[in-house]
Amino acid sequence: MIKSIKDLTFEEQMLPGTPACAGCGGLLALRHCLKALGEKTVIVNAAGCFTLLCVYPFTPFKSSWLYTAMACAPAGAQGVRDALNILIKKGRLDEKEDLKVVVLTGDGAAYDMGLSSTSGAIYRNLDFYYICYDNEAYGNTGFQSSGATPFGSKTGTTLPAELNPLGSELSKKDLFEIWRSHKPPYLATISPSHPVDIANKFKKCEGIKGPKLFIAHSPCPPGWATEPRLSAKFAKLAVETGIWPLKEALYGEVKHTLIPKKFKPVEEYLSEQGRFAHLFKPIRQEEAIKNIQERVNRYWK
Amino acid sequence: MLGKMTKQMLTGNASIAWGVRLSDVDYIPAYPVTPQTEIIESLSKWIREGQMDAGFVTMDSEHSMITAAGAASATGVRVFTATSSQGLMYGFEMLYTVSGWRVPFVMANVSRGLSSPITLEPDHNDILAARDTGFLQIHCETCQEALDSILIAYRLAEDKSVLLPAIVNMDGFYLSFTREPVEIPNKEIVREFLPPYKPTHAFFRASQPMAQGVAVLGGHIYSYFKYQMHMANNNALSIYKEVSEEFKETFGRGYGTVEGYMLDDAEYVLIMSNSFSAMGKAAVKRAREKGLRIGLLRLRLLRPFPEEDIREALKGRKASAVIDQNISVGKGGILYSEIAGVLYNEKQRPLLLSFIGGLGGKNISDAEFDFIFDAMMNAYSTGNVPQPALLYTEAELEEMERLKRVAGKG
Amino acid sequence: MLKVRFHGRGGQGAKIASRVLGTAAFLEGYYAQDFPLYGAERRGAPIAAFTRISKEPILERGVISEPDVIVVMDETLLDDPLANPLSGLGKEGLVFINTTHKAEDIKKRYRIDANVLTLDITKISLDILGKPILSALAGGAASKIVRLKETSLKEAVTRELSDITHEKGLIEKNIEASIYCFNALPSVLIKSNASHKKSDVITMPFEAADISSPSVTIPANTPLKKTGNWRIFKPVWDYELCTKCMTCVMRCPDGCIRVNEEGFPYSDYENCKGCMICAEECPAKAIRKEREVHAW
Ligand SMILES: Cc1ncc(C[n+]2csc(CCOP(=O)(O)OP(=O)(O)O)c2C)c(N)n1
Ligand code: SF4
Ligand code: SF4
Ligand code: SF4
Repeated sequence: MIKSIKDLTFEEQMLPGTPACAGCGGLLALRHCLKALGEKTVIVNAAGCFTLLCVYPFTPFKSSWLYTAMACAPAGAQGVRDALNILIKKGRLDEKEDLKVVVLTGDGAAYDMGLSSTSGAIYRNLDFYYICYDNEAYGNTGFQSSGATPFGSKTGTTLPAELNPLGSELSKKDLFEIWRSHKPPYLATISPSHPVDIANKFKKCEGIKGPKLFIAHSPCPPGWATEPRLSAKFAKLAVETGIWPLKEALYGEVKHTLIPKKFKPVEEYLSEQGRFAHLFKPIRQEEAIKNIQERVNRYWK
Repeated sequence: MLGKMTKQMLTGNASIAWGVRLSDVDYIPAYPVTPQTEIIESLSKWIREGQMDAGFVTMDSEHSMITAAGAASATGVRVFTATSSQGLMYGFEMLYTVSGWRVPFVMANVSRGLSSPITLEPDHNDILAARDTGFLQIHCETCQEALDSILIAYRLAEDKSVLLPAIVNMDGFYLSFTREPVEIPNKEIVREFLPPYKPTHAFFRASQPMAQGVAVLGGHIYSYFKYQMHMANNNALSIYKEVSEEFKETFGRGYGTVEGYMLDDAEYVLIMSNSFSAMGKAAVKRAREKGLRIGLLRLRLLRPFPEEDIREALKGRKASAVIDQNISVGKGGILYSEIAGVLYNEKQRPLLLSFIGGLGGKNISDAEFDFIFDAMMNAYSTGNVPQPALLYTEAELEEMERLKRVAGKG
Repeated sequence: MLKVRFHGRGGQGAKIASRVLGTAAFLEGYYAQDFPLYGAERRGAPIAAFTRISKEPILERGVISEPDVIVVMDETLLDDPLANPLSGLGKEGLVFINTTHKAEDIKKRYRIDANVLTLDITKISLDILGKPILSALAGGAASKIVRLKETSLKEAVTRELSDITHEKGLIEKNIEASIYCFNALPSVLIKSNASHKKSDVITMPFEAADISSPSVTIPANTPLKKTGNWRIFKPVWDYELCTKCMTCVMRCPDGCIRVNEEGFPYSDYENCKGCMICAEECPAKAIRKEREVHAW
């Protein structure tokens, strides 16, 4: 078990120069996941911001990559994994050449369009990793609401306006539980502000055959209307307020890997983000803020 | 050298399955859809019985299935998959995507009319919707041809100057569920004809990282990749001729890019594709008995489109008529337009008539064929080409009247 | 017709600047057309936007490859091989550059034949708006250069910003900043740039899929993109204060921070995007934020 940030590897699997926004929380999460996964990976990516990590003639990755489409990265992973197995079994590929197959998608793909292909891959017990960077909306198209958009968030399609002053009226889907109901051997939430937790979670599931699934909370400066420098801070605040619980489920059994000693009020997390600003100004939406706090309280009870 | 071959009564579906079995396919992602399902059932059974050494996985949709097929091929194995109609449409996004990856797997499409209204019998709107995707397309008339075309499709697709996926198309019901005698080639000989797939352009392995299917920005970059696909697809024309020549030497059967039937001295030419061509041939034969100089041109290789061969086949004819077993709603027959395009710059070209027939598997009767023959001859003698028309009989319309009354529409 | 091309970094406001100019021209009765070019890049990355202004109906569309006026909203773009902001500029053309340097120095440094105007609009925006959002300012500069009226500019800024914000005060400040830039620049006469570079139509040569598939076989080559040009602020380390806790190293989204032989962190400035997470997160406050001036 890794104890401190100083014990994390300095080895990078993804080099700088990507087109991701300055201060992208998802990129930070991905960076740590890849550090933990090591160099023998093939990333199977779905449509989203991170499609643009590989734009001809560039790739930031030391290892391999396949862009599929928005709904079907897990199906692409199935094809790659099965093909590698076949090549190795038939003696056409040395076992040393094997790769870990890693699905990389945003929340829109994971919570919405790709739900069916992910469900299929977990059901088939595909030996793969899934990293969902959850920026809580369709980021690449300019931040419209997705199944991961939390209650009260402003997005391109849930603008707070006279008739709907709260922004998004709907609540975020619980992807952790949706995935857990499929009984994958390993499942965890992670945060880019907690890289040691990330490293330990990847360590824990190393060697487990089957789906190993990660949902990474991913502050997104342009979408959240926050300053790039505050991405790590908001990731941390989400954990400290209890809004983003850090947990894992090993063979279905849920364990929290960090329980804040004292929970900060959600307001601290919400009030400084542009996407929630309308809950505070010009009129304070007391009900809505209370509602968000109560949901968190209920969760941790 | 014909080697030892066996003949059996096989359905079109079983023929395709045999073609796959003989091709040493490594991996088959699958999803059921009528009338294709029997193909994947047969393959699954052989794999489970140990008669085929391949991976088989039932996916969650055709979208996923085509993705998995492309991804496995991009990893370096030989892949087969199959679908039909609604399934092909469901996976449509991925047809373009995987062909852009330049992965040479083979897919069977068993043609079936598209919903709505949902139906089971064949026409070609499904497969022709895929004509612009980058996939090569071979359309079959017989069960034997279906089996043989799988072997030919792999050779074509995997050729270094092509490297694109291929679809082998056959009609639902009329071929898929219809048995006829089929020669199953000897596996050793097939192996000589179709050596193992060893990609140098697309694979995943730890020692040689590769980012595949990457995005591009900028029209000049996109145009380059797209046009290269187009040129690669066109390369398959000359490769096809070599491969089919070799196929003929090896197995004793040959298939041109197009097939001519009683064409040599024909003044009038009927143009068709797939299994209904057999009915067309029968009609041509009858017409010949009456002394009419009519022949039939069957389109077999649809992508790349064998323009030169079509031009050659239609050279010096008085008139020809395309029966499109498809309809581009708001335009008409798809193949009619394509053939018209091929002929346009010819100084001497036959008149070209357009008929829509056999939609949703509707029969084409003797009377309807005769109607077309008359129309061609009439057009030639008067110089007036009739408007495109639907082949539909009075009896069929009467039956429709009866059904409408039952439905409360009378 | 006058063709204006804006070069900025995602988030700086090049698109809105092109719209301010388009609307101002429209308000004066010209035919106008404006649009942004979206690239792969996000906030901080080079982007371009375009405005066409004409007395006659405009029959051109798409990217302006031979502009009469170029507005460079960030001097660092001049060094950026991917942005290539001066491409297509004729001798008669004019470049406006947001920089701390003087026009003559810029002309020499970047070997520009065309007319050059400079103004440090980043400083003006930091002073008046408190943040480096340059849309109204660049729009103001461009409006002056193409000889539009102050009143049209004012109205254009109001219209364009009302679409994005309801904060009255913010719109007012933007108008102020915009007019400031308008007045700080001379108005110049620009001759329309008529040169057309000719490149022959070729027959595309065929290449097999080994070459012509859209794949990349050199791993990890993005550092060639030099995203260091995105920075407006730059993190600077004070090793006196640094405790070598490694927080900054592990917080950089781009993995730009490495550790030197003595165990102190340093940034790969060629690619550091200047997000300032490292400075924000350093528990010892050993990283300070410096305005990135292009020192040469
Ligand atoms: C089938 C299909 N529909 C829509 C799109 C447009 N699209 C591209 S990226 C994207 C957003 C993806 O959102 P998410 O998965 O959350 O990832 P993010 O963009 O936030 O990185 C959408 C809707 C698409 N690429 N494919
Ligand atoms: S839009 Fe958000 S998720 Fe997308 S690259 Fe920018 S910061 Fe990252
Ligand atoms: S975070 Fe601050 S104290 Fe820690 S290593 Fe970086 S500069 Fe030094
Ligand atoms: S400012 Fe700091 S954290 Fe941001 S990219 Fe540069 S080095 Fe990395």
